[in-house]
Amino acid sequence: MSPIIYRILTAIPLIFGVSFLSFLIMHIAPGDPTLMYMDPTVSQNDLEQVRKNLGLDQPLLIQYVLWLKQLLQGNLGYSYVTGKPVVQAILERLPATLLLSITSLIMILLITFPLGLLCGYKKDTWVDDSITIISFLGLSIPTFWLGLMFILFFSLQLDWFPTSGFLDPMLLDASWVQKALNILSHMMLPLLTIIIGGVAGLIRYNRFSMIKILAQDYIASARARGLTERRILFKHALKNALLPIITILGLDLPSLISGSFIIEYIFSWPGMGQLGVQAVFQRDYPILMATIFFSSILIILGNLLADVSYAYADPRISRPSNGDAS
Amino acid sequence: MTPKLWFSISFLGGLAVLAIIIPFMPWDPNAINPQAMPQPPSWRHWFGTDDLGRDIFLRSLYGARISLMVGFVSVGISLLIGVTIGLLSGFIGGVVDAIIMRLLDVLMALPTLFLILMVQVTLEPSIFNVMVVIGVTSWMGMARLVRAEVLSIKERVFVTACRSRGLPEKTVLFKHILPHTLNPVIVAAMLGMGGAILVESVLSFLGLGVQPPHASWGNMLENSLGFLRDAPWMALIPGILITLTVLSLNFLGDGLWLLLDPKAKENHVSHS
Repeated sequence: MSPIIYRILTAIPLIFGVSFLSFLIMHIAPGDPTLMYMDPTVSQNDLEQVRKNLGLDQPLLIQYVLWLKQLLQGNLGYSYVTGKPVVQAILERLPATLLLSITSLIMILLITFPLGLLCGYKKDTWVDDSITIISFLGLSIPTFWLGLMFILFFSLQLDWFPTSGFLDPMLLDASWVQKALNILSHMMLPLLTIIIGGVAGLIRYNRFSMIKILAQDYIASARARGLTERRILFKHALKNALLPIITILGLDLPSLISGSFIIEYIFSWPGMGQLGVQAVFQRDYPILMATIFFSSILIILGNLLADVSYAYADPRISRPSNGDAS
Repeated sequence: MTPKLWFSISFLGGLAVLAIIIPFMPWDPNAINPQAMPQPPSWRHWFGTDDLGRDIFLRSLYGARISLMVGFVSVGISLLIGVTIGLLSGFIGGVVDAIIMRLLDVLMALPTLFLILMVQVTLEPSIFNVMVVIGVTSWMGMARLVRAEVLSIKERVFVTACRSRGLPEKTVLFKHILPHTLNPVIVAAMLGMGGAILVESVLSFLGLGVQPPHASWGNMLENSLGFLRDAPWMALIPGILITLTVLSLNFLGDGLWLLLDPKAKENHVSHS
């Protein structure tokens, strides 16, 4: 079987697993959808009837199947707080989350790749040492605190960027250029915070893969053939150093996504993360469950994308032997 | 011993000693002083005072108790679960292993922070719950690590030798294979402690961890929010302490790895 198809097939049980866990979370959480009818005029009998109609008296597995059927029709229930459909609430928040996370992902790649390779190439020199120490520092700083410090410094002291939000309400009728610039200035601080957290881990991996590659025979043979260092580095080493990065990026995705949720909350960025944290405080379990479900799906898809592009880029990869897909 | 290791050991050691002796001192971290509402760092108050005039140095040390305890206990829990499952999965192998690994894949795809937040908001937020919840949601990486070690160790000759001497499987696993997995586990535990301390600070920052008036670095940060402009030291100090503690743990993990694993020198890369 083609490795790419194999990867896609392994993601399917994962999605089912995540959906079952989300369902279980919803099931264990206090309250049920009849909370919507929390009206003293509704009698206990009617409530029982509503429960029956919703299938809440059925065994767990049947309830799960019913839930799954609803899910496939795009219905994940209604928010306990606003009464809005959950899927609609999530979809409204998705663009902001994707804008922030995809931009930060690209920036992280653009920054870490050259720096990590530089570290690997200049192994054990002061350049390497200082970048390594800085990246350790980046790994250790609590990102939400870093966000606060940026607000303190760049917004409150220097007044360069707005403290929070997405788009200035004054600009609703402005031209799209003005709007885009305004969104960009709102995005700068959250972006910077996420990048610093994300860059740190990846630099270490890039450094490692570069060191490994430079120790390979074909690099030695290129050197022996008298090629210039520049040519060796850019023509031979670079292409191979890209491969492992793809996998690591996939593995790093969960922490990147979870991390950016708190950042969204700190900067009132109207994404899924902010929605989720608000739902926690309001004990809005349907929204919370959907946030967990959707971000799991994002993580699985991200991993899948990494796996597939890896398999595509490296012809040596074949189907992994039993069970060791990591 | 590198400078990084010296720094980590002295910082963590100093912090631990202070955190242990501080409750025996006659100072009250919750004592309100209306004459000193918020004061910048000075000789009298080394880290300054907060909005209620409480001494931040004193509160920071009480916060250190919380952070170090959360680090130890939750990593202890995640070690217990992770190492057991990893050992069994790798040792038994076959279908059992395949099923466990798929379950791990599912668990690892969940955004753990939200699970933790959800449990905290449903149960009473308490320090005990924080430690248990972090431990119970963070063992997956450990299990994978141990399993991978077991898979390679069980093919080694000394395991075959144990078996041919007729030792029971239990003895082979716990007496002979387990000790060989310990080095990477110690390293992962150091990094895990750093992670647990970070999660605790997020929880307390959101008001879902250690409850005031008890001091924790996270809730000191939460408290500082209203005073960012007027008393920035209230936000700066707990954050710097968290960073230095987690940094020391990361350095320690990295340094121990280099010391424990002779092959690590050429493959110098973090496990996180």
